[in-house]
This record gives sequence, C-alpha cells and structure tokens, in this order.
Amino acid sequence: MTIPVTGSGSNTRRRRVVTERDATSTVEDGMTIAIGGFINSGHPMSIVRQLIRDGRRDLTVVGAASAGLEIDLLIATGVASKIVTPYVGAEGLVGIGPAFRRVAQAGEIELFELDEAHYYAGLRAAAQRVPFNPWRAGLGTSLVEVNPDLRVFEDPITGEPMIAVPAIEIDVCFLHVARADAFGNLQHNGTAYGDVAISAASAQTFASVEQIIPSEQIRAAPQLTTVDGATGVVRAQFGAHPFSAEGFYRPDEAHIRSYIAAADEWLRTGSRTRLDSYLERYVFGPADHIDYLETIGTRSLFGLYEY
Amino acid sequence: MTEQVLDVERIDGDRSRPPSAKEIMAAVIAHDLRDGEWVEVGANLPVPRAGALLAHLTHGPNMTVMLAMTKAYLRDEPVLEEYEYITDVGAMRWAEAYYRHDQLLSAQRRRINGVFYCGGVQIDRFGNSNLIGVGPDYRRLTFRGPGPIGTTNATAQSGRWHLVTTSHNPRVLVERVDFISALGYGDGEPDHRRRVGLRNPGPTSIITPLCVFDFDPDTRGARLATVHANVTVDEVRAQTGFAFTLSPTLRETAGPSDVELEILRTRIDRKRSLA
Repeated sequence: MTIPVTGSGSNTRRRRVVTERDATSTVEDGMTIAIGGFINSGHPMSIVRQLIRDGRRDLTVVGAASAGLEIDLLIATGVASKIVTPYVGAEGLVGIGPAFRRVAQAGEIELFELDEAHYYAGLRAAAQRVPFNPWRAGLGTSLVEVNPDLRVFEDPITGEPMIAVPAIEIDVCFLHVARADAFGNLQHNGTAYGDVAISAASAQTFASVEQIIPSEQIRAAPQLTTVDGATGVVRAQFGAHPFSAEGFYRPDEAHIRSYIAAADEWLRTGSRTRLDSYLERYVFGPADHIDYLETIGTRSLFGLYEY
Repeated sequence: MTEQVLDVERIDGDRSRPPSAKEIMAAVIAHDLRDGEWVEVGANLPVPRAGALLAHLTHGPNMTVMLAMTKAYLRDEPVLEEYEYITDVGAMRWAEAYYRHDQLLSAQRRRINGVFYCGGVQIDRFGNSNLIGVGPDYRRLTFRGPGPIGTTNATAQSGRWHLVTTSHNPRVLVERVDFISALGYGDGEPDHRRRVGLRNPGPTSIITPLCVFDFDPDTRGARLATVHANVTVDEVRAQTGFAFTLSPTLRETAGPSDVELEILRTRIDRKRSLA
C-alpha cells in the first residue's frame, strides 16, 4: 500500500494508524532502512518480524548507535546485506551478536565500520541535507582504512585534518515508542535513545506503540512529544518483545537466550537446524503480531512487568 | 527480617577477606578521579563502574556521574543496586537529567573535563586498543570483535583516559594490535597524536588484574608502574605479550583502604561482581 504524504482530498485530517503489513509494504529490496531502540530495549519487533516474513532482500540496515539482536535476526534471515552500526550485541547476554559474527568473519556482509559519534554525525548530515558532517575523532585509527567512506580532508577554515562522515540517508525508519495519537505524534518514555536523530535522517517514520491515546492527552503534555510527524503508527502492545519497552516491561531474558543459543550453534558449527526451528516457531509461523503473542503466552508476557 | 540479619552477618564476616584483584582495580580508578570530573558509568563493566562510584562516594561530591543515560547524584543512597542493562529503567530512579543519546554525542565539550575507561580485544605497548577484530584480513577476521562502540570518539575527546582489561594475558596485551579502533601513542614516535590531528593526551595507564602500566614519557612504551599485592614482576612478564620497562618508582599498587573496601562491599558491589 502507499501511504499518502498529503491529505486524502477529503479535507479532513488523515488518521495514520496502520498495520505492520502496511508499514513494511513501503520497503523495497535494496532500500536503506533503520531500526530504533538501544541494545536490549525499544526495538519495533512486530515490524521486524513482518519485514522478514515479507522476504525483503539486499537492505542496508542502519541499526541503533548500539544495536541489539534485532539486527542479528535481520542478518540471520538474509534480509540485510549491509549493516551500519557501531555495535551489534546484547551486553551481558552475549557480547557480540552470533549471526553478525558469523557473516562478518566469513566476509559475507558489508560493514560500515564507525564509532557512535560518526553515526550521529552521519544522521545529522542527512537531517541537515548536506553531504557530510566533519568529525575529528577517528583520525589515526584503522576506521578510515577499513571504511573508505570515512574520508580525511583538510578543513578549509583551520587547515587541520578532519574526517568527512557521509550523510546516512534513510528511506524508512521503524521505531518502538510508548504512546502516540492517531496523527503520528509520538511520545517516548525515558531518554528516547537515538530515535529522534534516526527519524530526522529518514524520509518516512513508522512507529509501533504500546498505546494509542487520544489527541487530548498529547495536547495535555506537548513537551513530551519526541517525534511529531510519523508517517504511520502501528498499535502493538508488547511490540518490543523479547526486548524491553521502558515503563512497560523488562527484556524476556529466557527468550533472548533461546535465540542466542540457536544462532550460536550456526556460528560455531554451521548447522542452522536450531536457528531455523527458532525462526519457524517465532517469525515465519505466526501470521501476525497477535499470533506471535499467543505463541509466547500471556503468562510469560505478563511476568515481564517492571515492578 | 531473617534475611536481612543474615545479610548483615555475611557482610561483617567478609571484612577480613583481602581485596580481590578487581577491588584493587576499582580502587586504582577511584584514587585517580578528582572531584568535579565527569565520568560515565555504563552497564556490564563492573570494574570502572565500581571505581567511579567509589570516587563519587568518598571524595567526589561535585562529580558529574552519568549513570546509564542519566545524570545522577548518589551520595545519599545507602546501596547502589547494580543493573544489567544500560536501558534498565531501574537505573533511572536517581536521575537529575536524562541524556538523549544523540544529544550526548553532540555535547563533546564536557569531555574536556571527563575521564574515560577503554577496553580492548587487544591492547598494545603503545596504548592502542582494538575492538574491531583479530586477524590479518579485515574481510576474513578470525575473530570479529564487538566494534568500536563509542571508544574511538571518547578516547579522542576525553581530558584523561585509561585502558582497562580484566584479562591480563598475552592474547589481549599484544606487541601490536591488528586494528586500531582507539588511538593511543600510535607507533610511539613523538607527538604522534597531535600530528594525526588529535588534541587530547594519550592514555595515562593500562589497569589490569595484575598491575598498572604507565607510559614512558620518552618512548611512549608501556612501563610497569605498580604491581598488585602478591603479584611478582616475573608473573606480569609471563602474562604480557609485549616487552615493557620498569618504572624507577615501581612499587606495590595502593589498593582500597579499610573504609573504601567497606563502601565497595556494602554500598556498591552487593552482587559481588568484583569478588
């Protein structure tokens, strides 16, 4: 489906509530997409699983400044052919994403090696609609050797060497946010990580949300609105599962560990048996997000509340 | 109630236990920090966390402690519970401010007054660190590391920084890193950092479970500055993959005082990550 950017012609405000399928249908093979959140929190997983079911290929995937295993999943399922993020892992659960390690060591994926400061410089350049942002850190390191897109140049003002970090232009980004109204006004709980910068660098933003609330509630606290123009809002309670959503639920560590064990077997032995059975059960099997939640079970889900 | 009583007994019974290697490392970090400095406390890095918090509680009332993605003031808190994830909202209960991550990375000026702790898959004698991976060919690494995360930038912006590893062995402490993700003193030539365009100093030290290296001001090479209690120079040599010299002031590392050890064990490290 096509999401109209302008009004529908009926001279009424367009409601932007869409389904996961609507949101992912804007993605075509070869595009650059981004996934918000931070390590074990705030990834729009119902959308990520739909992207995988859609069978997209050759996507450049911009992860968060510290990305989690949602990126590992997009690698393990062959959706991503290029990764832009300074980290893929799960902190204490697994230091480095197993699928990420597997394809990186085999030379089977293109990596855009960069520091988190370069990452935001690239997003900033895209938001500012300029070709690059300058950055000093990284000079004298291997980053400028292994990543030829980080170019050292002479600053015309001071004559000093600087790195030109190219704009990271994103076609579609996907976020998971606490709440939104039907008109694309998003409000995060917590610090919002890098979601605002990701959205500013993207042509379109879709957010899955724990709650859709009336506009009156947004207007009661407009200072809490973090992104004000999302193209579409997807209602997805527990939409970040198995990761946490701030103010709602903790990471499902047992589930994350079951993925890690499956992907780790692929890394160490080359056998995809366990990984494929994980994917079949939790990604390809469920028809939609509600189906996925039923597979996980309410007892597990409700056991993840923070307090 | 019963649980609480048992807990107190357990802690009391522990006071005689000598400091562990990680507790010594935390004390080294704390002793180096000065009041008023800015320091990050991440998740899943128990030693720098404990060191920074120990400094804050003992002599750092005006330190800016960045806990998870918040600014926190913690001196009035009896126990600083650990949290497992940097995104754990439990860590946000002490916040005086939230840091949006993208804004944090734009606000580099504060790092002039900041102190940073950099790890490494490999660390070499000139204080260069590698988190990219191990192997001669970037496209076919034998071990793919986690990636630079924020270490490339933080080590190029901080007023002072240290290398920290909890694995002192010849695979980590190598003669030459395969890739440089955080630049130390490069190949050791004078003024290397300034010549490539950086403005801040190279690393002050390498802090390990066996010892602390500093860097010889004439050669920029690692130099054994202090060894922890009950560690010999020969042991350090056997476990280190690079050649190093001995500081003329080589001595035993100043570990935690009794008061510091009590604070570590009762207020900072209740889960015994440093044991």
